Amino acid sequence: MTRYGMVIDLDRCMGCRACMEACKVENATPESSFFMYVFRFEQGEYPASRVSFLPRPCMHCDNAPCVKVCPVGARYKRDDGIVATDWDRCIGCRYCEVACPYGVNSFNWKDPEEAQYLDWNDPVITTAGDGSIPPYRNPALDGAYGPEQRKIAGGGHAQGVMEKCTFCVHRVEDGLDPACAQTCPVRALMFGDLDDPDSAPARALRERESFTLLEEAGTEPRVHYVGGTPPAEDARQVDAPEVRV
Amino acid sequence: MATHNATLPTHAGRSPSAWLLVVIVLVALVGVGIYAYAHEVSEGMAVTGLRNIGPMGGATWGLYITFVVYFVGLSFAGISTAALIRLARIERLRPISRMAELLTVVSLVLAGLAIIADLGQPLRGIINLFRYARPQSPFFGTFTLVISGYLFASLVYLYLDGRRDAWLTEQTAERHRWFYRFWAAGYRDTQAERERHDRATLWLAIAIVPLLVTAHSTLGFVFGLQVGRPGWFSALQAPAFVILAGVSGLGMLAIIVAAVRRWLHREEELGAEIFKWLSSALMILLLTYLYLVVVELLTNLYTGSSRERDVMSELLFGDYAWIYWAAVGGFVVALVLLVVRVALPSLRSAVWPVVAAGALVNLGAIGKRYLIVVPSQTKGTLLPYDEGSYTPAWTEFALVIGLISLGVLAYMLFTRYFPIVELPEPEAAERKEAR
Repeated sequence: MTRYGMVIDLDRCMGCRACMEACKVENATPESSFFMYVFRFEQGEYPASRVSFLPRPCMHCDNAPCVKVCPVGARYKRDDGIVATDWDRCIGCRYCEVACPYGVNSFNWKDPEEAQYLDWNDPVITTAGDGSIPPYRNPALDGAYGPEQRKIAGGGHAQGVMEKCTFCVHRVEDGLDPACAQTCPVRALMFGDLDDPDSAPARALRERESFTLLEEAGTEPRVHYVGGTPPAEDARQVDAPEVRV
Repeated sequence: MATHNATLPTHAGRSPSAWLLVVIVLVALVGVGIYAYAHEVSEGMAVTGLRNIGPMGGATWGLYITFVVYFVGLSFAGISTAALIRLARIERLRPISRMAELLTVVSLVLAGLAIIADLGQPLRGIINLFRYARPQSPFFGTFTLVISGYLFASLVYLYLDGRRDAWLTEQTAERHRWFYRFWAAGYRDTQAERERHDRATLWLAIAIVPLLVTAHSTLGFVFGLQVGRPGWFSALQAPAFVILAGVSGLGMLAIIVAAVRRWLHREEELGAEIFKWLSSALMILLLTYLYLVVVELLTNLYTGSSRERDVMSELLFGDYAWIYWAAVGGFVVALVLLVVRVALPSLRSAVWPVVAAGALVNLGAIGKRYLIVVPSQTKGTLLPYDEGSYTPAWTEFALVIGLISLGVLAYMLFTRYFPIVELPEPEAAERKEAR
């Protein structure tokens, strides 16, 4: 059976944040949302300090705290392991967000169309775009997926609902890699079926030492890291992305 | 003091002349709250101070959830006092029974409204919470047990307990007789009816007590079961929640009893006996709660993980220290007031120390609820996110003040039209005449 997961090679990651960019374009997320987030952080005391990078998608935990607490079953675990958010059912109580130890959830604080990076109603932009406004929005994001046929793809759907990394379920169901993995210029993000011994992530897990984030929380993440070490407790973020409403 | 006694139904509360003025002010405050909510619904929750945990360095639960927890806590003491009075047949406390029941009903309604205010999709919430209910979620307990089951049980209790008085009031009331007739619903206070009511309220009281403890524990579990938030994951959350619920509820009940006694001139019925009981019960619960506070402090500071210690030191010395010490200080001062009241003969029958203690523990409870909800989100991230902060926006303050005003208003209107203190047994002759 398919068991989707991701292995992230920290030896390769150079913190370029192209994956964050690709994710935003693919999923049309509002300004306040980063389904993929790359930490650039410093640890240790100068002069023994060093800067490291850590991409942080949703961990798609096997024992997901967010799935447990959702009062309406909008957050659920698919058979293939993807932790999905049904944005058509979510009531916006934000319990999943407080339950998640990784901080991967992003709430739509206002109308997502207004929270995009450009004001598409601005006349300057309308004329500059030569009538091609509003911009292209991937219709696949509004579709229904999986045997359950639920609306779980993409972001920027409605005000007052929760969204998070979907592992680009709309691409994965078409046999494609998630946008972040597709874009990474150094192939640090390896996506695939962990049960298939020939897949890149399964091979990496077999051949190299790996860890998961916050193992002690017992969430059993589906996202593994090879190379590098988990962030130490004194790790402090440098160059944090500006996240606005 | 001028009163409108003539226009009031028999034995219903008399009202001071400032009554109308207070009502107008409260209605205005409720209006501001409604405006704030409309603003929030149309503009999105971006108008609140709430933000995402982690990348945005915010708190996603804030003042609304603080007050959901506080309001549900208030409701605890109300119906449990009423049930206790019924179960143990504490006759001397009967005059405060209806006040306690009403406190529960009003504060539960406020808690429900505060939850709705906190939802990003309120309309969907009202439908989906029932349509797709998942008992595995600790919220299930909050929504079903607390807001539905327990509110319903309390309403039935209030209704049954009030039928006799509704019937008595209907006999003499000049206005709104339909209301009393509707409430009494054919009740005639015969021997058989009395016995039937007595049995029904007994079983209801027996059923309500376990429901109470379960319901209030689930609200503690909302926080206590979350391993991902330092400062939340603790077996102490549920019991501490129930105890603090009792403290704040009893404190509020003391304030209400004192207010009714003062403004509706019920010095005789609401005497020293009642305040003695209220203050002793409050004292015991307060001591228990302070004990839990110390236990929590020691557990988290002694060997707890560094993340737990970080959140705890933020509470003790960091951004949240002023709230923490004000709340704990309030509890201690309240306890001292209650002890001094017992110790000094000149104060033994004074009402003000109990009222002051009630006010202090309620402010303290709001502070403690805030400290449970917020710091674990802003200061308790486990990955190297920047430290967060949360400052409630005017919409949140306006909405919460609107909710509190709505509660006070509902309470005032009820006391205006229905006897808040159980009516005395009418003289036999008078009864015959009334019939």
